[in-house]
Amino acid sequence: MHSILAVDDSASMRQMVSFTLKNAGYDVVEAVDGEDAFEKARARDFALVLTDQNMPRLDGLGLTRKLRETPKFKTVPILILTTESSDQMKQAGRAAGATGWLVKPFDPAKLIEVIKKVVR
Amino acid sequence: MQMTSNSLETGMTLLARAELQDHLLTVTNDLDHLQSLLTDACETLIEGFVGVTHQLQSLQVNKPANSEAIERAIKHLGSTARALQFQDMSTQLIAHTSQRLRHCVDRLARDAFDGDGDGDEAVVAPAPPRPNPVTQSEMDTGFVELF
Repeated sequence: MHSILAVDDSASMRQMVSFTLKNAGYDVVEAVDGEDAFEKARARDFALVLTDQNMPRLDGLGLTRKLRETPKFKTVPILILTTESSDQMKQAGRAAGATGWLVKPFDPAKLIEVIKKVVR
Repeated sequence: MQMTSNSLETGMTLLARAELQDHLLTVTNDLDHLQSLLTDACETLIEGFVGVTHQLQSLQVNKPANSEAIERAIKHLGSTARALQFQDMSTQLIAHTSQRLRHCVDRLARDAFDGDGDGDEAVVAPAPPRPNPVTQSEMDTGFVELF
């Protein structure tokens, strides 16, 4: 079973994401912000990181950059799931090393389809 | 003592500024209240959504005769999953608006007391650095882009 690190400072979003992923058969570990996620990511392996962008302490772009500097996360897919839809932010995500940019609100079926595509 | 027109004007401006500040602070507090209501409502809705879905899934296993009807019910529930994400977007909108309002309140206060001679620079909460991050106008406008 693949493990996914789901990062969002909104409890309701974490619950929706977690519910969707668990329903599709994934093991899910939740983190409340980028710092919390980075600590959890260092402690174990994940097949995918699905992170919000706007969060306190460390945002999604910052988390992506930190993970890409960590050898075991060089090739792990990182998807940024955010309300931000501007091209400027998308390009920043790409430059930070994200695998994809997903704009909220997400459609559960579409989210699973994308995850299946990027998790091998 | 007779007030000069200049001091009268300054006095009125100060009063108007104080009233405006008061209105802005009231709006900020109302937004905080709205945020609490949204959070509470959304937590209850999502709890219900997850609970009913689990219940239907276990019924599907235990009562295979009703499987089709249960499957349809699960699909109906699933179609609300996007709408249930409204709290996250509303929270960001409210936070953005509150930050802008707080900036306006502080600016009014600073301008009113600027040059009062105490030599202290008033602290002004910064305005949001970027435009509103939530531009979606409907709950079915999410998209995916893989790099």
